[in-house]
Amino acid sequence: MTTVLRLAWRNVWRNPRRTGLTVAATVFAVYLVVVFVAMADGSHSKMIEDSVRIQSGHVQLAADGYLENRTLEYFLEVDDTIEKALASAPEVEAWAPRVNSAALLSFGASTQGAILIGVDPEREARVSTLFDRVSAGAFLPAGQERSLVLGEQLAKNLGAELGDEILLYSMAYTLQNAYELFVLTGTLKLPDASLERGLAVVTLADAQEFLAYDNRVSEIALRTGSARQVPALTRELEAALAGASGVRVHPWNEVMPEIEQFIIVDDAGMYIMLLILVIVVGFGILNTILMSVMERQQEFGAMLALGLRPSRIFAMVYAESMMLAVVGLGIGLALAYPTVLWFIGHPIPLTGEGMEAMAQLVAMEPVMTFELRETTLPGATITILGVAALAAFYPAVKASRARPVDALRSL
Amino acid sequence: MKHRNRVSAAAIAVALLGVAPSGRAAELEPPPEGLSARDVAIELEDVFRGQTSYFEGTMIIHSPRLPEPRRVGLKSWDDRPNKRSFIRITAPPKDKGMAFLKLHPNLWNYIPRVERTVRIPPSMMLQSWMGSDFSNDDLVRESSQIDDYQHRWLGVDPAPDHPESERAYVIEYVPNEDAPVVWGRIVTWIDVARTAPLRQEFFDEDGEKVRVLSYSSFAKTGRPYPHRWSMVPLDKEGHETAFEVDVVRFDEEYPDSIFTKRNLTRRDAP
Repeated sequence: MTTVLRLAWRNVWRNPRRTGLTVAATVFAVYLVVVFVAMADGSHSKMIEDSVRIQSGHVQLAADGYLENRTLEYFLEVDDTIEKALASAPEVEAWAPRVNSAALLSFGASTQGAILIGVDPEREARVSTLFDRVSAGAFLPAGQERSLVLGEQLAKNLGAELGDEILLYSMAYTLQNAYELFVLTGTLKLPDASLERGLAVVTLADAQEFLAYDNRVSEIALRTGSARQVPALTRELEAALAGASGVRVHPWNEVMPEIEQFIIVDDAGMYIMLLILVIVVGFGILNTILMSVMERQQEFGAMLALGLRPSRIFAMVYAESMMLAVVGLGIGLALAYPTVLWFIGHPIPLTGEGMEAMAQLVAMEPVMTFELRETTLPGATITILGVAALAAFYPAVKASRARPVDALRSL
Repeated sequence: MKHRNRVSAAAIAVALLGVAPSGRAAELEPPPEGLSARDVAIELEDVFRGQTSYFEGTMIIHSPRLPEPRRVGLKSWDDRPNKRSFIRITAPPKDKGMAFLKLHPNLWNYIPRVERTVRIPPSMMLQSWMGSDFSNDDLVRESSQIDDYQHRWLGVDPAPDHPESERAYVIEYVPNEDAPVVWGRIVTWIDVARTAPLRQEFFDEDGEKVRVLSYSSFAKTGRPYPHRWSMVPLDKEGHETAFEVDVVRFDEEYPDSIFTKRNLTRRDAP
């Protein structure tokens, strides 16, 4: 066997230029596959993290039916069962209860509809990034009752300034008209334009009083270390809350299915492109090996005439092809790995209006991040080796079937 | 038992003879010849709403959320030709003095406790009015059941499932293409003898029946006005909003001063 490998290795370098080109193509493909996948995974993770941190939380607890209807009808009460379940899951880094409702905001002659959320400022700061987005004033200062924070555009549309009294108008849980004056204490700059002109935030206690909601909450948002812990955490919480009837555990992708769908479509596009690239490389390997096999018909004929078994020739040609792939793969990975590592440390800021607009669309910071999953490098390796194995098959068969008579005649 | 058997035998006989049997809406008799569905609808609207109407009554909201029904007292002035109306809430004490003014196409709401007048934006027209199963749009009738719909005969119901009616016209209202209407269609039962509204079934654009508004307690003399209305949303279990009408008067002249934003803030004036 070692003889076959040695022969193969020598044969590979009999035409260094051709081999070099094929290896270069393979290196190129491996490099692109790894870098592109890392880039896509990175921006998708970032997209998830960013949108999860703006609102939904990695995982949400809500009453059965809340997600579909989003009305006050569906509520949770933060009781011992829920607190214990949350405390028992080590992945839960923080959690925050919220009350969500629709409300009209009226100031002067202007009336605007908005989503009203009531948050516990201390808990919320550990779960979502709403607090980091204050563009003016302060986020629900402690001790000040009935303070209100609005999306910057919403405040602008109302024509309200910090310190103004804004009328909030909604329907209470008791089906009574709820109306109350709140003082505008801050505005938020949000990456999502529709959120910025439609979000009103008050304290949880004020929201519960305003909506006559007692100590009910609409949802409990959870934060974990990363989106990748979500499936395990979801299972864990579901088990822990099995006894609490009517409490549902929703991972982020149930709360924001549009983001997951965007990622699936985006991934599909990328993988199709990479597949085409890999197929082209496969044909490159096929071409190189086939050309060399055609040139070496007499050689194979002679070897067969000398008594070498066809299977040995098959193995040799096959080994040549795999060597091309392995060399290309090795160099490719050696180049791609540090590139990706470097980009993980140095995300690329996206500039230009187009990119910023797109980033806003999916509520994302305009920066391109990279992420190397443990499946990426093995995946690229297996793909390239698989393609090489497929590409080598036909030339290897052809070589092993060379006819000694033809070969000798042409000498 | 014996009696019931005889009845069902009779029903079978009727069915065999090709005459629609009783009980089900699907088994309607053909509509009267020479009478247009639209004319019946217009007559109904006149009986039910008049040109102008004044109304005092109580709205009673039933909901699983409420330990006991919520009762809201109100007075309303409706001036159909001028597309304007005014509603004053008289009870409970917490909401007393609240008022609604519609001057087509705007709707304002005055809240005495904070002394503010809020214009209800068009996007809120389908939201619940005062926590009831009626929407803001139901209240101000932004759309007209005459002008915004085509009317089509479904037939005559010989047993309209209503204690105060023997026979009912059944007419389907299909909204015009450009009408500001959310319903796919409305099916209306109208008492044949008195041209009084019995029931309206509202279907959404997917053909799903979403709510039923029924009327009862008709005035014994004069205009057959229903003194009790009941709205049942079919997608919300346990919800019902009823209206009990204490006083209703039609076709009076109202002073223009009623339909003003100034009047909104006058808590005790009409």
